[in-house]
Amino acid sequence: MQRHVTLRLFRQGTAAEVTLTFLLLVAVALLFTDALWKSSNPIRQTLATAVYPFQRLVMLPKDALNAFDGWLNAASLIKTEGEALQRQRIEMAQVTTRAALLNAENEQLRRLLGVVEKAAERPAVVVEVLYEPSSPFVRRIVFNKGTRAGIAPGMPVIDESGVVGQITRVTAMTSEAAMLTDEAVSIPVQVLRNGLRLIAFGSGSPGKVEVRYFSSDADLKDGDTLVTSGVGGVFPPGLFVGRIDRVERSPASGFARAEAKPLSHPERNRHFLVLQVSLDGEQAFLTPSTPAPVTEPVRAPATGK
Amino acid sequence: MTKYSLGTSLLQARNLQPHSLEAAMGWHYIWLTTVCIWLLSLLPWRNWPVTPDILLVVIAFWSFHQPRRMGMVAAFCFGLTLDVHDAGPLGLQALLYALVVYGTQLLHRRLARFDLLRQAMHLIPLFVGAKFVTVLVGAFLVSAWPGWTWLPGILLTVACWPLVGWLLLLPQHRMDDAGTGIS
Repeated sequence: MQRHVTLRLFRQGTAAEVTLTFLLLVAVALLFTDALWKSSNPIRQTLATAVYPFQRLVMLPKDALNAFDGWLNAASLIKTEGEALQRQRIEMAQVTTRAALLNAENEQLRRLLGVVEKAAERPAVVVEVLYEPSSPFVRRIVFNKGTRAGIAPGMPVIDESGVVGQITRVTAMTSEAAMLTDEAVSIPVQVLRNGLRLIAFGSGSPGKVEVRYFSSDADLKDGDTLVTSGVGGVFPPGLFVGRIDRVERSPASGFARAEAKPLSHPERNRHFLVLQVSLDGEQAFLTPSTPAPVTEPVRAPATGK
Repeated sequence: MTKYSLGTSLLQARNLQPHSLEAAMGWHYIWLTTVCIWLLSLLPWRNWPVTPDILLVVIAFWSFHQPRRMGMVAAFCFGLTLDVHDAGPLGLQALLYALVVYGTQLLHRRLARFDLLRQAMHLIPLFVGAKFVTVLVGAFLVSAWPGWTWLPGILLTVACWPLVGWLLLLPQHRMDDAGTGIS
């Protein structure tokens, strides 16, 4: 093969060190602006929008296979689903009767107390998992709907067994949720047994939620169920969060911490529900010193100190 | 296909025949392979923490082999897109890619004297060092140490160098063989 080798006495073009220094500065700038903006980084959103068509492109075979599989199994799926629904209907009948009774009682009590009931019905969007990002630093899931479907950062994500996480970033077509176990998430919770109010944080240990900042004599023990308390207005009250499986009391500091296992199973489901809570209005309605959405995680003690 | 024996490697005769390095690889071939591997990287198979980063190897290999066609800026941009895809800190993988490409270009003359296997051995400190820097930066940003699973991951990544290099150069070997009449 004919080749033309040009010998050069001096190096031409930009020196590699200059390029490297420039890129290092850009990287540092990006990292810090990203850490500052968190949920609304325009650079990230632009890039995400640019990458989105390619993400869908590579997932086309999987989507096609899923569609084909669904088409093949439609009949048997409908049959099993019908049976499950039938069983559920019978189970639900009992629950509904009891719920109606409790509701009536509750309304009466509320009237007595003069409490204004907040609107319980909230609009929600069903989202499907697009993919699970593989960064070692965060535990996130990316969904297939974004601002176009009315999703905004801070909205809670639930499945049938409780809170799954919270939306952290959105683009027009996708949204990214931090799992309960992600460090970015903090949720105001209540112990179901005795109503003790606490704050649950994502923890360093994988698959666990951490409850911090409560006095060591607080009534909390293994097996206690945590539900959202509704304080802060982001998470509606009464959603299951986790079950306490370890309580560490430190007599020296007077504080205790506990670990809970989330009750939701984000790894088992493909569909989730994003609750479209209004993120400004309701917060003002409640106490000001409450955990904000994940964009500004509050690390203040809930009790004690 | 060139067979590398220990003798020729030790004699280092290959650096006197620059044709295997400077032979024209079409820019379309380089970018096609890189973009294909980039698309593959968007699939969810990388979720296992020990998965090798094939895209990094491909980019590093081209930046060593064809430094004028694959530079630090391109590597940086590829890293940025993966940062967005992985929802990690923006700029972290970009930093890793730029550092690795800079390192391979710095080691270019040294690497050119060795075969693919020995190149991989020379690249271990570079890959591990660059990864360690980015893991430190990431740990600083999220104030949590992500554990050591990245270490086997990056070692596997370097271990892919000989295989990836051999695969990427297959067309060229064929061209060479045809040129010299060896089938």
